[in-house]
Amino acid sequence: MPASAATYERIVYKNFSEYHYMKVCLEFQDHGVGLNVAQFKQLLVSALKDLFGEVGAALPLDVLTYEEKTLSAILRVCSSGVVKLWSSLTLLGSYKGKKCAFRVIQVSPFLLALSGNSRELVLD
Amino acid sequence: MAAFADLDLRASSDLKALRGMVETAAHLGYSVVAINHVVDFKEKKQEIEKPVVVSELFTTLPIVQVACTHLDVDLVCVTVTEKLPFYFKRPPVNVAIDRGLGFELVYSPAIKDSTIRRYTISNALNLMQICKGKNIIISSAAERPLEIRGPYDVANLGLLFGLSESDAKAAVSINCRAALLHGETRRTAFGIISTVKKPRPSEGDDDSLPACKKAKCEG
Repeated sequence: MPASAATYERIVYKNFSEYHYMKVCLEFQDHGVGLNVAQFKQLLVSALKDLFGEVGAALPLDVLTYEEKTLSAILRVCSSGVVKLWSSLTLLGSYKGKKCAFRVIQVSPFLLALSGNSRELVLD
Repeated sequence: MAAFADLDLRASSDLKALRGMVETAAHLGYSVVAINHVVDFKEKKQEIEKPVVVSELFTTLPIVQVACTHLDVDLVCVTVTEKLPFYFKRPPVNVAIDRGLGFELVYSPAIKDSTIRRYTISNALNLMQICKGKNIIISSAAERPLEIRGPYDVANLGLLFGLSESDAKAAVSINCRAALLHGETRRTAFGIISTVKKPRPSEGDDDSLPACKKAKCEG
C-alpha cells in the first residue's frame, strides 16, 4: 500500500527579530547636566535629523527605559534602522552647546541579552 | 583575532590630559593606541623621535601620486576638512595597495561640524569607489577624551562610508595591525630579519653552558 503523500510547508525566517534593542549611556563633559525623558527623545530625534534628514527622523524609535541619574537608556528600533540610529548616535557631538558623547554599551536583537553583559563577567 | 586599535590621537602638550585620553581609549576597548605629532612642512627644524608609523596628510594630486608610488610612508591620510579638489585615480591607488600602504580616514571633525560631516562622507565614498575598501583605516583625530568612540561604533561608521561589514570591522582591527607591522618592516632588511638585543644574564653562567659544549666535555 503506498504511503499517503505528505505535505510540507517550508517557512524561512530571514531575520527572526523585527526590532533591535540598544543599551546606551550619555556622557557629558561637565557633570551636573540633567535631561528628562522628553528631552532625551528630542535629542535622539534631532541627532537622526542632522544626519539623515526628515526621513531619518521619522524612524520608529522607542525609549523603553530611562534613568535620569545615570543618563542611560534602553532603546528599541526596527532592524532596518539600527545602522542609521547607531551612526547618528556616534556622530552626535553636543547638546545645547555642551559637549557630550553617546556610549553604546550593548546592541542585540533580543531584549533578554541586554540584561547581562558577558564581557563584564569575572572569572573567580 | 587582531585587537582593536586607534591610530590617531592628537598629542597636546599636557601630559595629564594625554594620559586621560589613553585611559578612556583603553576603557572603551582599544588595545593599541598611536599618538600623533603633527609636523608642519614649512618649519624645517623639527626634532621628533623616530616614529614607527609615518603618515602624511595630502591635499593635491601630484603629491598623492608620488606618495603612493615612491615615498617611504605607511599611511596616507585623506583630508576630511574640505572637499577634495581632485579625484583619486585608480593606478596610483593600486600601486599603493600593492606596496602595503593604508588609507586613513578620521572621524572626529565630523562630530563637531555638520559641513565637515558632508565632506567626510563624500571624500570617503569617493575613496571607496576607487580602492574597493581594501587597506582602509578609520581613526579618530581626537584632542579630547570625549571625542573618542568605541571600536564597534567606529565599525558602524565604516558601513556609512560604503564599506562592507567585514571590511568595516577590519578597518579598526586587522588593517591597523598591518600598518604597524609595515612600519616595523621598514626598519628591517627586506622585512625578514631584524636583530633584537638580548639582555645577558650575569649570574649562573657556569650552569648555563650551551648544550653542545656540555656534550663535548662529557663525551
